[in-house]
Amino acid sequence: MSRKDEILGRIRAGIGTRYDMPSLDDIAPITYPDPLAAFIASSKVAGSEVVELENGDTVDSIIRKRFPSAGTIASNLPEVSIANLNPDTVESAAALDGTDVGVIRGELGVAENGCIWIPQAMKEKAVCFISENLVILLPREAIVNNMHEAYRRVDPGRYGYGTFISGPSKTADIAQTLVMGAQAARSVTVILI
Amino acid sequence: MTQHSKKAAAFLKDAKYSQWHDATFWAVRSKRDTMAQGLPEWERLREKASAIKRHTLSHLDEYLEQFAAQAQKNGAVVHWAADADEFNAIVLDILQAAGVKKIVKSKSMLTEECGMNPYLEAKGIEVVETDLGERIIQLMGQRPSHIVMPAVHLSPDQVGELFEREGISDEIGNHDPTYLTYRARLSLRNEFLTAGAGMTGANFGIAATGDIVVCTNEGNADMSTSCPKLHIAALGLEKVIPDYDCLAVFQRMLCRAGTGQPTTSYTSHFRKARPGAQAMHIILVDNGRSQWIGNPDHWEILKCIRCGSCMNTCPVYRRSGGFSYSYFIPGPLGVNLGMLRDFEAHKGNLSACTLCMSCQSVCPVKIDLGEQIYKWRQMSGAIPPAKKALCKGMSMVYNHPLLYKTATRVLKPFHSLDLEKDE
Repeated sequence: MSRKDEILGRIRAGIGTRYDMPSLDDIAPITYPDPLAAFIASSKVAGSEVVELENGDTVDSIIRKRFPSAGTIASNLPEVSIANLNPDTVESAAALDGTDVGVIRGELGVAENGCIWIPQAMKEKAVCFISENLVILLPREAIVNNMHEAYRRVDPGRYGYGTFISGPSKTADIAQTLVMGAQAARSVTVILI
Repeated sequence: MTQHSKKAAAFLKDAKYSQWHDATFWAVRSKRDTMAQGLPEWERLREKASAIKRHTLSHLDEYLEQFAAQAQKNGAVVHWAADADEFNAIVLDILQAAGVKKIVKSKSMLTEECGMNPYLEAKGIEVVETDLGERIIQLMGQRPSHIVMPAVHLSPDQVGELFEREGISDEIGNHDPTYLTYRARLSLRNEFLTAGAGMTGANFGIAATGDIVVCTNEGNADMSTSCPKLHIAALGLEKVIPDYDCLAVFQRMLCRAGTGQPTTSYTSHFRKARPGAQAMHIILVDNGRSQWIGNPDHWEILKCIRCGSCMNTCPVYRRSGGFSYSYFIPGPLGVNLGMLRDFEAHKGNLSACTLCMSCQSVCPVKIDLGEQIYKWRQMSGAIPPAKKALCKGMSMVYNHPLLYKTATRVLKPFHSLDLEKDE
């Protein structure tokens, strides 16, 4: 008998009452009169900066303005013409080390907690984490109220990886003092397009 | 005195630190309350979370098969480990076959449970913890004192001096947490880039899709799996849940209950190996769980999602610290898991409970933690005779109002008498 069968056999022998799956239709999760405003507020709580693309702005101009001294800008997005490193064509993830600004696209924003769904749409997902500063482009109409709505709409994409990101990497592991920038991005800027 | 109460007495000798400990965890508990009160549906979520877990655990055979089949369809290699030894051997095999000499790993209580790090190190494989708190205690040669905040027992000075000894920080005497975190970031960055494999635990395994879901604030699980070409994920059998609709319920509760945040910074879904990487390995670990499912009084402890809220709220944990417990997981959760693991070895933790039931009032999946501790006490016969006699006497006094009045009047001058002394 395989290990798997042994383990499953013990489980079957041990299970008492088999309980039914509850209906999840009556949770009545929180919704917001203005989900975009709630998303912006939640993002700020998580430590993100939120910038709205105004008339006359381009993604390039906003990045330049926010990170005037950035040397390495990594992105595979067509609207980021100032990018000088491409996560699709780098030889390995290590080549992205030292990236000052990484620019990626978010698919969905969640009002209740500022989460942004990032399916892997690049060869090296390291760009999402290894960059000192992360910029996420997010369509302003792509906001849902809560995680229940979000999980009805997400898919990890063709590379089979996806992540919800809410704010910069953070830790409070030393004496419960909150510090932004543990192992991944030290700042997150969300550009609403 | 029990094993726990002796260690707790030692912990309480440092009054300043023990007050800080108590206040720190009460603050986390208060943040949890703010989060819970911010969602009108919070109590409904707890009901659903509990019911989903009951359903899943009582159909765990089916969900495990579905999860394994789905993960294999995604290209992952799925292993089944009956116990800790088997788990460690599987990890070693995978690493040796790939010629890996160093691994980076994100926080996993399961690898702690199995003693994986010392095992691999004895076989010549370097293991680097990448969660900041875990890295600190690894360098200190300690074990975690809390499941979510593993280095909470250390002061910035202790961490600063450690980093100076280890050559991680170069400004001697700078013990500012922001500076120390930055120095650890630089040191760990080098580890991520030079390790041959990344290892993660799992907060959830999704049966419908085969996803491994890992929640972190630091992004270290993502760094660990973005740089090295090999990803090994380890999960206890009870981590599997049916689908994304269920995941939404748990994702919303995990961090709100645990640290009082609306979400972790990263909720990452690993379904396939990244382009150019080797196949992802998933190890499903039993190590007692398939037996515990058959325990009618205690199987529901397997509903746990490891948020840590039961220890944050526990008046005994807050005033005795994680190292007062003999099991590697402290607090109400650890008392119960320790008893399932080894009754004799861990019954000295049973005194670490006032039966206030605060743990089960906050538990996001509604585990009857306090009631389970009560049941273990009934089985253990651990109550010292003196205390038994005292309880009998007290019960008589409380049940006879006249006797109570007389007794309080007579005993008043002795109110500071230490009744525990004779134990």
